[in-house]
Amino acid sequence: MTDRRTLAFLNAVSTFKGGISGAFLLLLVIAALLAPWLSPYPYDLQDLGVMNQAPSMTHLLGTDEFGRDVLSRMITGARTSLSVSITAIGISVVLGLVLGATCGYFGGTFDRIVMTVVDLTWSFPEILIALMLVAIIGPGLEGVVIAIAIAYLAQFTRLTRTQIMSLKSETYVEATVSLGAGHTHILFSHLLPNALAPVLVAAMLATGDAIILEATLGFFGLGAQPPTPSWGAMMSSGTAQLFIAPWVILLPGLAVALTVVFLNLFGDALIAALDVRTKLREA
Amino acid sequence: MNRRKFLVSTSMLTLAAGLGLATGRPARAGGTEAVFVLASSEVGAASQDPIRATLLSVVAMLVYDRLIEQDVDQSYHPHLAQSWETSADGKTWTFKLRQGVRFHDGEPFNAETIAWWIPKFKGSPNEYLVDAIERVEVVDEHSFRFVMKRADPNLIYNLASAFMGIPSPKSYDEAGDSYGVTVAVGTGPYRMESFSVGQETVLVANEEYSWGCDLSDNKAAPHIKRLTLREIPDASTAFLELKTGGVGMLLGVPSQFLPQLEADDNISFRSLPGMGVTYLGFNTRKEPFNDHSVRQATALAVDQAAIHKSVFNGVGLESHQFLISSLAESKIDPALEIHHDLAKANEILDTSGWQRGGDGIRTKDGKPLTIKLTAQSETSFKRTAEVVQAQLKAIGMDVEIVIFDNTSVVDQLKKGEHQLAVRHYDWNNADILDWFFSTTNIPYPNSTGWQGEKSQELRDIAMQQSKTPEERVVNFRKYQENLIANFLFAPIHEPVQNYAFNKTLLDVPEKLRGTQLVQASVVDIKVVD
Repeated sequence: MTDRRTLAFLNAVSTFKGGISGAFLLLLVIAALLAPWLSPYPYDLQDLGVMNQAPSMTHLLGTDEFGRDVLSRMITGARTSLSVSITAIGISVVLGLVLGATCGYFGGTFDRIVMTVVDLTWSFPEILIALMLVAIIGPGLEGVVIAIAIAYLAQFTRLTRTQIMSLKSETYVEATVSLGAGHTHILFSHLLPNALAPVLVAAMLATGDAIILEATLGFFGLGAQPPTPSWGAMMSSGTAQLFIAPWVILLPGLAVALTVVFLNLFGDALIAALDVRTKLREA
Repeated sequence: MNRRKFLVSTSMLTLAAGLGLATGRPARAGGTEAVFVLASSEVGAASQDPIRATLLSVVAMLVYDRLIEQDVDQSYHPHLAQSWETSADGKTWTFKLRQGVRFHDGEPFNAETIAWWIPKFKGSPNEYLVDAIERVEVVDEHSFRFVMKRADPNLIYNLASAFMGIPSPKSYDEAGDSYGVTVAVGTGPYRMESFSVGQETVLVANEEYSWGCDLSDNKAAPHIKRLTLREIPDASTAFLELKTGGVGMLLGVPSQFLPQLEADDNISFRSLPGMGVTYLGFNTRKEPFNDHSVRQATALAVDQAAIHKSVFNGVGLESHQFLISSLAESKIDPALEIHHDLAKANEILDTSGWQRGGDGIRTKDGKPLTIKLTAQSETSFKRTAEVVQAQLKAIGMDVEIVIFDNTSVVDQLKKGEHQLAVRHYDWNNADILDWFFSTTNIPYPNSTGWQGEKSQELRDIAMQQSKTPEERVVNFRKYQENLIANFLFAPIHEPVQNYAFNKTLLDVPEKLRGTQLVQASVVDIKVVD
């Protein structure tokens, strides 16, 4: 099982778009992990003598309205964006798997109640749900993580449930049942591992959306609170000097766009590599 | 949101934006029309009734005339009152009115109007303006007398305020509660055609106008015949509207936009000295700012010069006391002014038992020096908060910034939940000290919660026992010196008032008159052909 998935992953990386996007994402993750060591300056160091300076040798990506180094803030911002979106999607996936599997496997009243709520939240755009939740929880990173996790919960719950329901009637599951296996065994050893692949691909694509959502909330001042940088908050503060220091808004914008594009490309490559049926047909 | 939905929604947005730009109303539809954008501090005025409103916009200055006008140097000039004199004891004021003045509804303006008008303030939020007046005596059709309960040298300032624009008695009484919303009738250079709260007000020139005050070159009807005043709360949006010609003039431009304005050939701007001060307000009822030494150290840690340079682009003045610098009351003992002194700030905290920990943050009795700094979401407030955050780190204070919209900030202040807040006021009179620091105004507007017996005693003397303007200046100086010694605020900055306009649409006089860009200057603005 694990071997097949590793193989698929390697297959994905070996394609052209998979390779490029994978390399970019790897670099981004390394930058985020090593942010305190990679940043040329502390991200909150104000130097009012060099406000709004264009990119130069001392400040490779220029400085912002307080003379802070934009490169250092971009790197730390990557940390914020990635950690928030990955944590949020992680929570969402785990909760979604548990809820979806329970609903799909057992069905009944519980299934109907959960699905009604899920469909209800799914009928709103994620940004609306997230805004409402942050308004209730209060601005800050914890609020944003919770808001994003709940906003995407519906998607993963539905996906897992559908997978489990179709897998439930497969012959090998019926065989396991007739051998006398318990619910827990069937769910965790046979159903979930087979339902995981599409959920993981969906999670990868959702991470891209979550980065946009995090940036949007940050742009509205609801995400990371100053002086902690996030790409969205950097763009928001950059609007005031759009015409005299465009790099303050353009660079974080570019970072958001590239990250989302590469996440989607990588997700595509992964879909192609994971789809066993397509592979067989090609063979 | 999947990718397809994302692409569809972004392309819809782009399309919508494109269409919006294409169909946007041009600002110069006719030869003598103009569109102004109200300053953000005036956005949301719910009524144009000067007697009962608590927030008025420039609209009130254009629809109504006042007895007296105030100029940029804080001097007073006759308008509907041609002349006035005060008795030696300050107990009677006699006014001579201008003749031939008519309201928009055709009613004459005379001494009877005043006799109707002053009692109307009773029970309104603006009652304090005329509180010192016992009664109005009509001398003849064009002169009257105020008989005073007590001498009030500040009455002249009140008479020049926007809240003392004179409405038509007939229209006022007829309209009842809806006055100021559906109808607003004065003697001013503009009639109000329509008013929708939070959106826009449309004014048309009063062609019969011939009683302009001596601050204006144009004493007759204004040059702009149809004036729309739009309310755009977001400064960036307003700025883009100005750049693209959607509006002719912005009545308030945050300083951070000035460099961009200067770079644009079509845009020019005018400035007037500041009307207000940006400051940090302490909540003395909550830890740690109930401690005098923490307040003092915080006030001394604020580097006004750095904020002046970074947040305000070097425009305006640094503030070292609470009042705007054009007021005589602001000239307090220089030794008492609050100036940046990091070494002293640290020394004060050291000696009062706040020890620095390994992370640079101070603690006392196991409690860390961690505070919340409340600021509203406008750019200049947010940026001030960020610079202050970095400056207070230097004295070992860990500052968490909390950003709210203006209404929520005021809510928080009213509940006394804040610790430290970035605040700004616009008021060109020393009685602002009473407003923000009198014990009678706790919890709001006195959100410091300060209860000092000596302070209140000095406040009473300044507010109620000053007989002449000179005496009032001395008394208010003493009052402020007491407040400063208690470190109830940390003054930061006195911004200038910036007005930006599109040169291809409007011709604005080089030198503006009046304390703000109000009636005296608006009637002189011409539309470029």
